[in-house]
Amino acid sequence: MNQYNPGPMKKVITIRFFWLTSLLFLISPILSAQNEAETEENEPVDTYLSFIATYTSNDTVVLTAHLFIRRERIPVDLQNAPISFTASGDGQQLTIGEVFTDSTGKARCLIPTTSLPRDKEGMVTYTADFSGTDNYFSASEVFISKPAALDVSFYEEDSIKYIRVSGIQTGSEGDDAPIANETVLLFVPTLFAPMPVGEIYLEEDGVGSMEFPMTLIGDSVGTIMIIARIDENDLFGYVKGGSSCNWAIPKHFLKQDKPTRELWTPVAPLWMIITLLILLAGVWGHYVYAVVQLIKIKQSAKKESA
Amino acid sequence: MKSLTLNPFPLKEATDGQPKKSSRRDFLKKSLVAGAGVVATGGLIEAYLDTSAAESGEKVKVLTTTGEIVEVDKSQIKYPRISRKESHQGIPGKKFVMVIDLARCKNARACVEGCQKAHHLPKDQEFMKVYLLQDTENTAPYWFPKPCFHCDNPLCVSVCPVGATYKRSDGIVLIDNERCIGCKFCITGCPYSTRVFAWRHYEEFDEDTQPYSPEASSPGVEGTVSKCDFCPDLIRVGKLPYCVTSCPMGVIYFGDIDEDVVTNGAETYQFSKLIRERAGYRYLEILGTRPSVYYLPPVERQFPVDRGFDGLNEEVEKRYESTPYVQKQRRK
Amino acid sequence: MASEKELTLLKEFTPQIEHTNIKQTVWMIFLAAVIVLGFYALYVQITEGHIVTGMRDNVVWGIYIVNFIFFMGISYAGALISGTLHLFKAEWRKPIIRIAEFITIIALLIGPCYILLCIGRLDRLYYLVIFGRIQSPITWDVIAISTDIFGCLIFLYLALLRDIAAIRDFQEIRIPKWKRKIYTFLALGYTGTPEQKERLHKATDIMAAMVIAIAVIVYSVLAWIFSVTLQPGWHSTIFGPYFVIAAVFSGCGVMIVVMWLFRKIYHLEKYITIKHFVNVGVLMLILAALFGYFTFSDYLTKWYGSERNDELLINLLFDKYYWLFILSNYIGVLLPMIVVGIKKFRTINNITISAIIVILALWVNRYLIVVPTLESPYLPIQDSRPAWIFYNSTWIEWALTAAGVAFFALAFTIGSKLIPIINVSELAESPQEEEKILE
Ligand code: SF4
Ligand code: SF4
Repeated sequence: MNQYNPGPMKKVITIRFFWLTSLLFLISPILSAQNEAETEENEPVDTYLSFIATYTSNDTVVLTAHLFIRRERIPVDLQNAPISFTASGDGQQLTIGEVFTDSTGKARCLIPTTSLPRDKEGMVTYTADFSGTDNYFSASEVFISKPAALDVSFYEEDSIKYIRVSGIQTGSEGDDAPIANETVLLFVPTLFAPMPVGEIYLEEDGVGSMEFPMTLIGDSVGTIMIIARIDENDLFGYVKGGSSCNWAIPKHFLKQDKPTRELWTPVAPLWMIITLLILLAGVWGHYVYAVVQLIKIKQSAKKESA
Repeated sequence: MKSLTLNPFPLKEATDGQPKKSSRRDFLKKSLVAGAGVVATGGLIEAYLDTSAAESGEKVKVLTTTGEIVEVDKSQIKYPRISRKESHQGIPGKKFVMVIDLARCKNARACVEGCQKAHHLPKDQEFMKVYLLQDTENTAPYWFPKPCFHCDNPLCVSVCPVGATYKRSDGIVLIDNERCIGCKFCITGCPYSTRVFAWRHYEEFDEDTQPYSPEASSPGVEGTVSKCDFCPDLIRVGKLPYCVTSCPMGVIYFGDIDEDVVTNGAETYQFSKLIRERAGYRYLEILGTRPSVYYLPPVERQFPVDRGFDGLNEEVEKRYESTPYVQKQRRK
Repeated sequence: MASEKELTLLKEFTPQIEHTNIKQTVWMIFLAAVIVLGFYALYVQITEGHIVTGMRDNVVWGIYIVNFIFFMGISYAGALISGTLHLFKAEWRKPIIRIAEFITIIALLIGPCYILLCIGRLDRLYYLVIFGRIQSPITWDVIAISTDIFGCLIFLYLALLRDIAAIRDFQEIRIPKWKRKIYTFLALGYTGTPEQKERLHKATDIMAAMVIAIAVIVYSVLAWIFSVTLQPGWHSTIFGPYFVIAAVFSGCGVMIVVMWLFRKIYHLEKYITIKHFVNVGVLMLILAALFGYFTFSDYLTKWYGSERNDELLINLLFDKYYWLFILSNYIGVLLPMIVVGIKKFRTINNITISAIIVILALWVNRYLIVVPTLESPYLPIQDSRPAWIFYNSTWIEWALTAAGVAFFALAFTIGSKLIPIINVSELAESPQEEEKILE
């Protein structure tokens, strides 16, 4: 086996819906464990792709593909691998481009949805493709969803503040329709991860609202961004939209648990420096006095002998 | 549409399940993409939600020392290491906090291992330690993961004679291994047995060849002290510390107390609400050290305590032998 | 010019200063060998790292620190004894004052070396000066100890000046030329004119007072290194005075032992008499009482309140360290009281034996302050490595400890060969009272 290398083998896994992808994740440890046993050193390694398309505001879609392999069942990201993205529908195919994976094995690109090919239901079929190399098998993933958009706005009624979300599904010929009877999750973006702040149910007209949570903390003037998200939807996949307002609590209103004893600061407290100086001056002053006496003894001796 | 690609870097496997710090350089080098139809912008939402997701162009997004996310040209960045001066100041406008949910911990030790690997720690040294605590014989035993508490009144910093250990504006207590003289006073100063001393040279200390920085989880230096650092190098690029991302149970939450948010990667909560509702507390508050690490009491646990003994290697199991709980089990 | 009396007294010490006999040479070679062994241990520790010691992450300080406290303690005692006796003009002090001064300065040179042995990066030692933080008790210690060393050197020099001048003037003594030159240089041309006498007296008085004050500060600062931390067993307000008392107590012990040795070896029975042993012994008795009192208050309050960690510590002391605890805090306190307190037992040898036990007890006392506390931290030690749980000192540490003791002895031997071990000029000053002093 070592001398004879069959070269890259095509091993295309095509799964229609992303929830099937997650099923694959569940069983893949078993699959890979078997593969591991059979594989010898120079045999190409199976690669795995997870792939989603997220619709964001301004009619754009973000394609995110994550490429990894499994070593002893533990996922290891593949970096610097070219992933080519295409979009198709109704017999048309559009090559979007090629993006290299980063150190976390992710390749990502952002494109406008307006000119994407669609099928009769208005769905777009996105494909992410890794063509493989001598050492890695190829992998391919498909994600099908319908372009949509979420819009977040704010209003005040009877001095109660509300967040309103409206959802629109966009058709290929401008035949937009509301996203009805769907639950939208609301988040606040933070340093590390979005924090959930509530849910809104979109009615028949695609609009829903909820009270603004008054405990949220924004920046120094109280500005905060609210993001609405639909995740793992059968029809739309991932949709995301957001906007900001200044209703949050300004940051510096938070009171710190401040220590009273601050000996850990770079500079010592004044009393300590003063005490030390007094002590040192006192002691060394006396030393100097004693040494001066010695010098004088020496001098008097010189005088005498002279 | 035709695509055109340029890529000077060979295809390679990331050395670890999670990005290692050596790969941070690569992260900033990133792949180049040029192609019709590819839009190389991220927008504000993208930038906030996923700061590491900055690879669709020649620009790279980084969190600056002022806490802003900016795009810089990747060619501007040679070593993303933070200078010594910057690493002494901390990330402005932030104050980091950790919450550990004792109800979920089953001593899986993933945090310990993730941390050891990322910080080039030898087996002898653990920044995160998991204790089996039981306050008295009649109270419940529980697993207690313990990092450095990054106290707001840190005695370890007060007693250091040369300023080798210091507290930054963002609350993180760090050690400058190029300054430390190894007097070990800080070890006796810390009431939480947090600090470890490099009693000899370990192979692992040679692993990293990048320039030293106190905040870059550089390997230890013989004859100096080290401890959990809250992974400030990851925080700076908007990533969670290693222990947080390694824990399969989501026990550890991390966040900014001013933002009032903590997250374990999967779940995100408002910090004040979480602490209020779950009666969060700080360990040994009576000592006045004011830790930045909070604990959620082990109520309505997801696992019985004994589950924590599953799959432990012999060496680790032996650590708990002298605890009252194990002694009692034995007698039964 | 040196007085007649001085010269006659000096004559007695001439043999020691002039030549070294075979026994003494062997003795000094032996001490040098122990020191060399210590240096070898130091070499091993530096090349292989601190892993060769018994110290680990929980017990980060071991017998090095114990030795540090111990030597600093006896140094302090020397300063205090010579300073106080000088200020109070106790006549009987004269024959033993030089011994006290020697103890002070030699121990003061050894003590700080032990803290250096604890430091992981000796190559960065100068950071203590260039980056020093005033808030740290270690910085206080650095300042205090260096001040103390200077003070004691000046004090010792003042005390030696007249004897140096006497040797310079003593023509009969056969010493090499270069040595005589050094004596001449060091004597500063002191000839005992009234003006010189006056100045010397003033300076000595001032320095005696200073040395006492500094010694109190230095030793308190040393105690604060422990008591400013939050560790159970260390975090105690009593530590400053407690350490000071313990220091003088141990210093008295060392004083008596050294007196006994020189009395025997240099045949000083004429000068150092039972009176000196009893007087220093009484001092030791008083200090034993004070030391017992402090120890008792410290442990009583801990035991009575029984805060959880204090309780753990006390349990450890009365379990694993039971015999050491008994030795240091019962025998070490009661024995000197009985031996000195009851007239029947009050012989030179008995007092010396009890002094030896006092020295041992106080060394153990420091050990029991440092080690068990670190073995019972707030968070229980959960470790599988035995070395990480309990402290077990290694031969490296003992070799270096022995080297310290050997250096102490060697420096004493050499010192007594350069300068008479009894302060000749002081003794000569009051000839009519001599009978009284030596009665
Ligand atoms: S837990 Fe210990 S080492 Fe960490 S900041 Fe607090 S005192 Fe310092
Ligand atoms: S061991 Fe290092 S960090 Fe700790 S107190 Fe000493 S110099 Fe400072």
